[in-house]
Amino acid sequence: MADAKMADTKTAEVKTAGAKALPAGLKEFSLAGKSAIVIGAEHPLGRAAAVTLAEAGAKVLLASQEPGTGDRLKEVAKAIQAAGATAVVQVQRAAIRADLSATADLAVSQLGGLDILVTALDAPFYATVEATDDSAYDRVMEDNFKTVWMAFQEIGRVMLQRGGGVIVNISTVMAERGVPNAALYCAAKGAVRNLVRALALEWARRGVRINLLECGWTEEAGSPALEPGDFADKLIRYLPYRRLLKPEEIAGALLYLVSPAAGFVTGEAIAVDGGLLCRV
Amino acid sequence: MILDSFKLDGKVAVITGGGRGLGRAMAVRFANCGADIVAAARTVAQLDETAALIAPTGRKCLTVPTDVGDSAAVNALIAAAIAEFGRVDVMINNAGIGEDSFGKPIEAITDAEWHRGIDVNLSSQFFCARAAIPHMVKAGRGKIVNVASGYGLRGGKHNYMYACAKGAVLQLTRSLALTYAENNIQTNCIVPGIFPHNEAMMKFFKGGKFIPIGRPGDDEDVGPLAVFLASEASNHVNGEMIIIDGGGLAGGIVPTGVAPGNPAPAPARDGNG
Repeated sequence: MADAKMADTKTAEVKTAGAKALPAGLKEFSLAGKSAIVIGAEHPLGRAAAVTLAEAGAKVLLASQEPGTGDRLKEVAKAIQAAGATAVVQVQRAAIRADLSATADLAVSQLGGLDILVTALDAPFYATVEATDDSAYDRVMEDNFKTVWMAFQEIGRVMLQRGGGVIVNISTVMAERGVPNAALYCAAKGAVRNLVRALALEWARRGVRINLLECGWTEEAGSPALEPGDFADKLIRYLPYRRLLKPEEIAGALLYLVSPAAGFVTGEAIAVDGGLLCRV
Repeated sequence: MILDSFKLDGKVAVITGGGRGLGRAMAVRFANCGADIVAAARTVAQLDETAALIAPTGRKCLTVPTDVGDSAAVNALIAAAIAEFGRVDVMINNAGIGEDSFGKPIEAITDAEWHRGIDVNLSSQFFCARAAIPHMVKAGRGKIVNVASGYGLRGGKHNYMYACAKGAVLQLTRSLALTYAENNIQTNCIVPGIFPHNEAMMKFFKGGKFIPIGRPGDDEDVGPLAVFLASEASNHVNGEMIIIDGGGLAGGIVPTGVAPGNPAPAPARDGNG
């Protein structure tokens, strides 16, 4: 996903809430005055999350999963700033604990707080089990699980000190089901799914809510669903909506989960998949 | 703009069980988001109270006394909504009988009680979907929100009709979602945890002290979730069940408030959410 030939680097469009009055029934959906970190903001889903948070009124720190992604982060930050919202860029390596800790501190010093964490950490991996060596195992588990684990620890620590916060991990429906040639990737995603359940319980009475957003097959560079061939053809016909998810279509579910509107929701996952998980 | 996609301006929402509790909270919330409401329930006086709460919002509220366990009454409800507003954009299947349908040992439950529990908690949702869907198909879009329960996923002592019906509501949701995806009708399910509506229920659930987040649900907690599922903001969410329970169903294999090892989990904080 963090791959350089990413097609969709067009400028993100951001429209901020500004001073526009919200209907009384939507007041809990506003993020006005809140500070948010998005880790993995170079990925299409991370970018969509950052734009959503800014539109709803939050100040956003855009942090990378991998270094070398500064241009992409800056492009998103510029779009957010042009719409009148605050965005700060932090190029970091999410596999380095000290980087995550510094990012948490930066949010507090630059944005004036730390209320929301969105992790969009992802490194898809497709191979048979017997062809996967130990170095691949270490890399896949680090990029998909350990980074998320450490982000929860390092940003969560600051949230707990400050009296609370909200975490949403952006994942995939592969956190719930198996896919052949993706066993290790499914295992890593499934590990995060159950980590969220246990952590939700551990932090339930300490003011931190934590949930997941599980995407169906998504239109993003590098996805096997976009490689012309038998797999993609059959997959599209199998999807209830007969099309892939566009990253920006996660906006509604993401805003619901990170906002006070979901104050009684923790340890849960919302799938944004058009109904795919209902299929037999 | 993302917040605009949650608005319900000009939409018509039919809400069963709209005379009290979650249904009333959803009705008032929807009106505050710009929707016109068709509120259905058995008790006229309760419907009138809901209508009185909606009046200050400036939205319309049609009240239709309905026994949702009776398919003819449900057909008349949808016909009344169509006659008044010309369409049904959102169908909220919320009516249910909880407290009066569990607690009895199995040998004391009559056939009539079994059928009534299944009819009101499950058949009502099938009847409402069956009556509303043709109008949604014609309109080329629609939203169905079914209200299940944590008892639809887990069992309860002396809890038969309610738990069985609510479990089936999850399956009804999935089959409707897959069938009508091509008609741009999204069907989803809200799974509330413990939402005590009166003193007796609060006592039965021990004030909700075993709920991980440290408090029971409040009817106002469900309103924003229902708005999300009724709005354009959820257009790619389909066939999904969303648990709103303060973390209860994420765990459940050890009692709340204890944990293996040290330290003990933090005590509840007041009104934390």
